[in-house]
Amino acid sequence: MAQNISPEQSGGAGGSSSVKHNDDSLPIKDNHAVSKRLHKELMNLMMANEKGISAFPDGENIFKWVGTIAGPTNTVYAAQTYRLSLDFPNSYPYAAPVVKFLTPCFHPNVDLQGAICLDILKDKWSALYDVRTILLSIQSLLGEPNNESPLNAQAAMMWNDQKEYKKYLDAFYEKHKDT
Amino acid sequence: MKLTIKSWTGVASWRWIANDENCGICRMSFESTCPECALPGDDCPLVWGVCSHCFHMHCIVKWLNLQPLNKQCPMCRQSWKFNIH
Repeated sequence: MAQNISPEQSGGAGGSSSVKHNDDSLPIKDNHAVSKRLHKELMNLMMANEKGISAFPDGENIFKWVGTIAGPTNTVYAAQTYRLSLDFPNSYPYAAPVVKFLTPCFHPNVDLQGAICLDILKDKWSALYDVRTILLSIQSLLGEPNNESPLNAQAAMMWNDQKEYKKYLDAFYEKHKDT
Repeated sequence: MKLTIKSWTGVASWRWIANDENCGICRMSFESTCPECALPGDDCPLVWGVCSHCFHMHCIVKWLNLQPLNKQCPMCRQSWKFNIH
């Protein structure tokens, strides 16, 4: 179903100023419809029991979720687990949720505050995407960064030398162990 | 034997013929309505694009109205044109 989700195609979405918040002032007042869809997604996620990703509402509020993704195997991120926050606007799914890394993540397209530069969360968003496809896209972004429009220039520069990158990554995790 | 029918009640059923069970935008069943409507049928119809993808009319119109420039099918990103049957 999802097309164009390859992070390589994130053309115009990039740049350091891309931490744009989604417009929540759209003329859609029916929160009920949104929570209905989110409940449906939650049901499907729980039934599907997808390997490597999971997500659940963070407390009572169905508009705030916490997701986890496993670092993809055969990449420098293998064996790592990342927690992310997903904030759904009242206009979801017509507008994308705001997704951020909670676990510190050293990656060319993730800044130090956890903001993610990914086209499908910005100008390539489609109402057909959901929590599952978002998390799968971010998971594949880990192994296939878009080094053309980095949020973390240092990571983008280091990416070519995967051995050194892995070394730096291990030191990075050691440093952020407690956060 | 001669029968006299005094009254009768007609019953009909209908269903949409779509290639999917649920609307991809709202995730509600096509046999049901979009989240804004109460009665299925003509008041909350399905529409098809020439790309063959199908949605509740209210859902796809809302999506298209929120696209500033390119009115594209949310499924295949082809430019959206209503397929008039």
